[in-house]
Amino acid sequence: MGAVVSSAGGGRCRGGDGTVLGDLPENCVAEVLLRLDPLEICRMARLSRTFRGAASGDVVWESKLPRNYVRLLAIAAAGDGEGGQAAAAALEAEPLPKKDLYARLCRRNRFDGGNKEFWLDKGGGGLCMSISSRALSITGIDDRRYWNFIPNDESRFHTVAYLSQIWWFEVRGEVEFFFPEGTYSLFYRVHLGRPFKRLGRRVYSSEHIHGWDIKPVHFQMSTSDGQHVQSKCYLTDPGIWINHHVGDFVVKDSSRPINIRFAMIQIDCTHTKGGLCVDSVVVKPQYLTQKKVPWTYV
Amino acid sequence: MAAAADSSGDGGTSSGEKTIVLVSSDNSARFEVREAAALLSQTVRRMIDEAGADASGDGITLPDVDAKTLAKVLEYCNKHAPASSSSSAAEAAPPAEGEEDLERFDREFVRVDMGTLYSLVTAASYLKIEGLLNLTCQTIADMIKGKTPEQIRKTLGITSEFTPEEEDEVRRENAWAF
Repeated sequence: MGAVVSSAGGGRCRGGDGTVLGDLPENCVAEVLLRLDPLEICRMARLSRTFRGAASGDVVWESKLPRNYVRLLAIAAAGDGEGGQAAAAALEAEPLPKKDLYARLCRRNRFDGGNKEFWLDKGGGGLCMSISSRALSITGIDDRRYWNFIPNDESRFHTVAYLSQIWWFEVRGEVEFFFPEGTYSLFYRVHLGRPFKRLGRRVYSSEHIHGWDIKPVHFQMSTSDGQHVQSKCYLTDPGIWINHHVGDFVVKDSSRPINIRFAMIQIDCTHTKGGLCVDSVVVKPQYLTQKKVPWTYV
Repeated sequence: MAAAADSSGDGGTSSGEKTIVLVSSDNSARFEVREAAALLSQTVRRMIDEAGADASGDGITLPDVDAKTLAKVLEYCNKHAPASSSSSAAEAAPPAEGEEDLERFDREFVRVDMGTLYSLVTAASYLKIEGLLNLTCQTIADMIKGKTPEQIRKTLGITSEFTPEEEDEVRRENAWAF
């Protein structure tokens, strides 16, 4: 059987020697890339000029961006202050390639006065968020007998709230945001014991740790559209950062903001508790938390 | 003179259903297929709409699809065609075959050499057959997943014509991802 020649639009169908897939036109390569995740797409750019072209194409990246990416970009730009406003205006005037917009959203974007930040997970495009302890409502935070903000380089915000001791332990917070559609998990990132460096090594002090084994800590979460979760657990395992899973919430409409309220409470006044660092509240897309995540540094 | 190739289906005329004749690019083969199967291609659908009611008399020539590929594409269309053709552009009628049967067919269908796979992708793209495009592109995507660029070059037969400067540029463009 001789070679069958197809016309100018495609290439030669030689069959069997496998050398012709490299001749695929760019639009077909784009169709293939659509079905890969963002990191793989970036890796594929190295294959050939056609792959490089397809891997930069708006068609491919538009499908990876969250539906409300324009709004997210505006929030990111606003968080940049004066320079951000100018950047946002420039964006309106001459749109950047969608790939650049995706990369932009993958950066840590501060908002709400700099005490919260959001970013896209590079691999899956899901939205993540970290809310600093400074943005939380902590009962007794102004009383240095109970709480102090201490520097810590294991925290995104370089500061954590440290509790020496208190009867009434209550750490609340809320965030209103345009989450892209999906399911999210919310965590309190805490550490039993006070970490510090001694002679360049990371150690922790357990001098104030007490009371957490007497009664469990209660976690709550509720959303403005009526979702509620409650859970409780005993705090254990000093010396490492632990993400306590409060619960999950679902977002159905990214064009409307959703308000999430959360609380971590232990107000049984028959005993004091202390020796706890509260770093932040973290929100991640549910698909991410099904993978193993290192405990110590988020 | 062009020989009439075997019709890929069992000839829908027995049920009185309309058939369409599709002709390969080099005019070497003519295929008579059920309208429902042919209309899986948005391109064919558009050609019929544009040409008017009497177009299928002479057959529709597809300048970008050779005979061998067209035969294979029509094998797919016949299998996936709805039981009866609908006149609406948004094809919602379910195929005549069962889900599992189709999945098995699809898996076997893409067990072909690279050259054929390549022809199927370009044909599916040109003919705008969503299901076939999805199937073939997903197949290639699955071949790529988890492999290093060197392995992929070998599997898919791609040569890189990058200059060292271009290589550097590509690396920089994508540094944010790694």
